[in-house]
Amino acid sequence: MAITEVRHVDRQRHAAPRATRTLAELSHGPEAFRLLVEAVTDYAIFLVGPDGHILTWNLGAERIKGYKASEIIGKHISVFYTAEDRRNGRPERNLRAAEKRGNIEDQGWRVRKDGTRFWADVQLSTLHDDQGKLFGYAKVTRDMTEVRAAEDRERQLVIERQARAFAEDAVRSRDRFLAIASHELKTPVASLQVAVESLLLNREHGTLDVPRTERGIERMDRAVKRLAMVLDELLDVASLERGATTFTFSNVDVSRIAAEVIDRFAGVEAQDRVAANLQPAIIRADAARIEQVITNLVDNALKYSTSPAPVTVRVAAQPSGALIEVSDEGIGLGLGTASGLFEPFSRASNAADIPGMGLGLFITREIVERHGGQISGTAAPDRGTTFRVTLPKQPPRNGHGGS
Amino acid sequence: MGARRVLVVDDDPTLRETLGEVLTDDGFDVRVAWNGRDALEKLEGWNADVVILDVMMPVMDAFGFQSALDERAEPSPPVILLSAAPGLASAASELGAVSVISKPFHLQDLIAEVRRVVGPMNGRAATSGV
Repeated sequence: MAITEVRHVDRQRHAAPRATRTLAELSHGPEAFRLLVEAVTDYAIFLVGPDGHILTWNLGAERIKGYKASEIIGKHISVFYTAEDRRNGRPERNLRAAEKRGNIEDQGWRVRKDGTRFWADVQLSTLHDDQGKLFGYAKVTRDMTEVRAAEDRERQLVIERQARAFAEDAVRSRDRFLAIASHELKTPVASLQVAVESLLLNREHGTLDVPRTERGIERMDRAVKRLAMVLDELLDVASLERGATTFTFSNVDVSRIAAEVIDRFAGVEAQDRVAANLQPAIIRADAARIEQVITNLVDNALKYSTSPAPVTVRVAAQPSGALIEVSDEGIGLGLGTASGLFEPFSRASNAADIPGMGLGLFITREIVERHGGQISGTAAPDRGTTFRVTLPKQPPRNGHGGS
Repeated sequence: MGARRVLVVDDDPTLRETLGEVLTDDGFDVRVAWNGRDALEKLEGWNADVVILDVMMPVMDAFGFQSALDERAEPSPPVILLSAAPGLASAASELGAVSVISKPFHLQDLIAEVRRVVGPMNGRAATSGV
């Protein structure tokens, strides 16, 4: 804004342009600026005296604020403010601030003549005479209502987009869960069906002897037990995801829990494949759930590497809490595509790659997250797989876990 | 010519054992393996006429098995994919499998498919007929 030039026109305000002079002639004199300002319609541009009374008016001011020059000149600028702003002394405060700083910008609701509000962007600049004495202000106001509404719509769109992304994410997560669930259920059902049908086939062929019957019953028993286990896991996952599972947090030494888990595996595994590197690490956690995490990771490592390659469990205290690391020396999880290995832990996962990972890791991640911790995995062909869990000293307060 | 050879590869012991037993009863020469790597060992000096192959297995899955198989000098046996995994059709085309059976399945259907793939000259029908 050419404020310094406006200072020159001030004394001649409202002198009508003489028709006898050409615009080219006018453009050399101060009159041109008055004409220019008066003609601007998108901005309210006017002069205000040092006491806050309006001295000039332009087309833009008339259009934006609804007052004609004759109605408003001489009135105080506070008429443009809302009742609340007037009570709070905002008009005077703005004038004082402009006087102090030379120029201020203010955004807020202003009131038109008809009482309606508009969102204004206001520039208020001081004008000084040749002696440096304040003789008023130049006020430039722009109606930003539509811009603001557009911004609001844009913000609303962003919120809606986020909500939609969240919902889509939830659907994807549910689809992933269903894919895993169906795979996990189909496997034992297939075993059960084949075991039953082989008995039926033998009966049909008259070859159903006692050893075949006994083997068939044992296989059916194994399949049914596996099925029951998968169902328990599914219910556990569902309950964890709903946040319906209450966690009981207490001070626990993660290394002691790990030692107990390792002891249990030593009894099951023919060879002592599980090696330990345990340092005390005391955090607030749900002991039974941490045991489940370590059990799942060790179970997984044993499954995905062959005997006698060792599985190593490391527990260490960290400044932030505890670290649990379970590594194997297998060939690096034998799933089809290397990129799909750890996708259960990422949002971008492709359901088709996951089921082989089973529900155990799904549950593990859920438990770790409820503790406010993180889980990550690294795998390299023939260099084995390492799962790394970090747990904070304290579970999150706002977590849905009980305490 | 001796009995046709079938290799059953599945990490589920119940399924593996049952299929092995049923196919043996049906007159096939059967070997079983619990993952791709184990299957490669079972194929040493013993060429299968058909491989019944699970997709997702620990240690070495169907993809790892198939690429190792392709690297051998011998012609690779036809593969029947047997899996509960989603996206089985795309896995089958990637692996060049001759057919796909999704779990759970009827035992009779699998036996029929094995017979179809290896040809008519074998099995219980062959020993009693022809």
